[in-house]
Amino acid sequence: MAKSLLLISRQAPWSGPGAREALDIVLAGGAFDLPIGLLFLDDGVLQLAAKQNAKALQQKDLSANLQALPMFGVEDLFVCADSAAERGLDPSALALSDVQSLDAAGIRALIDRYDHVMTL
Amino acid sequence: MSTLHVLSHSPFGDSRLTSCLRLLGSADGLLLTGDAAYALQPDTAPQAALLAHAGLTLFVLAEDAEARALAIPHWAKAIDYPAFVELSLHHDKVNTWL
Repeated sequence: MAKSLLLISRQAPWSGPGAREALDIVLAGGAFDLPIGLLFLDDGVLQLAAKQNAKALQQKDLSANLQALPMFGVEDLFVCADSAAERGLDPSALALSDVQSLDAAGIRALIDRYDHVMTL
Repeated sequence: MSTLHVLSHSPFGDSRLTSCLRLLGSADGLLLTGDAAYALQPDTAPQAALLAHAGLTLFVLAEDAEARALAIPHWAKAIDYPAFVELSLHHDKVNTWL
C-alpha cells in the first residue's frame, strides 16, 4: 500500500507558480493512483473563487486543472472554513464542487490521517 | 499521531505561524528555524501568540536564534542539527511550511 500524502496549498492563484505547482503534484499523484488529498488553506482558498478570468492577466487558467482533479481520481478535497470566511468566500459557491469545508479541529484530524504532509 | 511542524519564514507579515498554531495538535511539536525564529522577539504579536498557546511544545534551532540576537526563553527548547534529525524521527511525520 502506497503511503498517503496530504498536500496543503496556501498560495493565491496569481502570486506566482506555487498554486499551479501544488496542483501539478496532486494531479501527478492522482495519475499514479496514489492516495492523495488536497487542502486549501490561507490564501490558497482564493484559488477556488468562482468566475476568475486568467485572460485579463494573459495567463492560463487554474480552473481547468481544478476541474481535472476528480478525473485524476483525486476526490479528497478540503477547504479551511476559517480561511474562506476571512476572505469573504462562500463555501457553497466555490469553483470546485465536492470540496469539503473543515474547521481547525477537522483539519487537525485530517493531518493525523495521512502518512505525509506537504505545505506549499 | 504526532506531527512536527517546521517554520522558516518570518512571522511578521506572513500567516504561516498563525495558521500553524490554529492547526497544531496536542501531541504535535513546533520547530522554528531561519527567520521563523523572529517569533521569539519579546513584546511582539508573534511572541504573544506563542505564549497564549496552551501546551505548546516549542523548539528553536539554536544557531538561527543566536545569529539573530534572540534570547531563547525557558518555554522553548534550543536544539542543534543532530537534535533536529532526532526530533524528526520522534514524530510520525514532518510538515514543513514551505
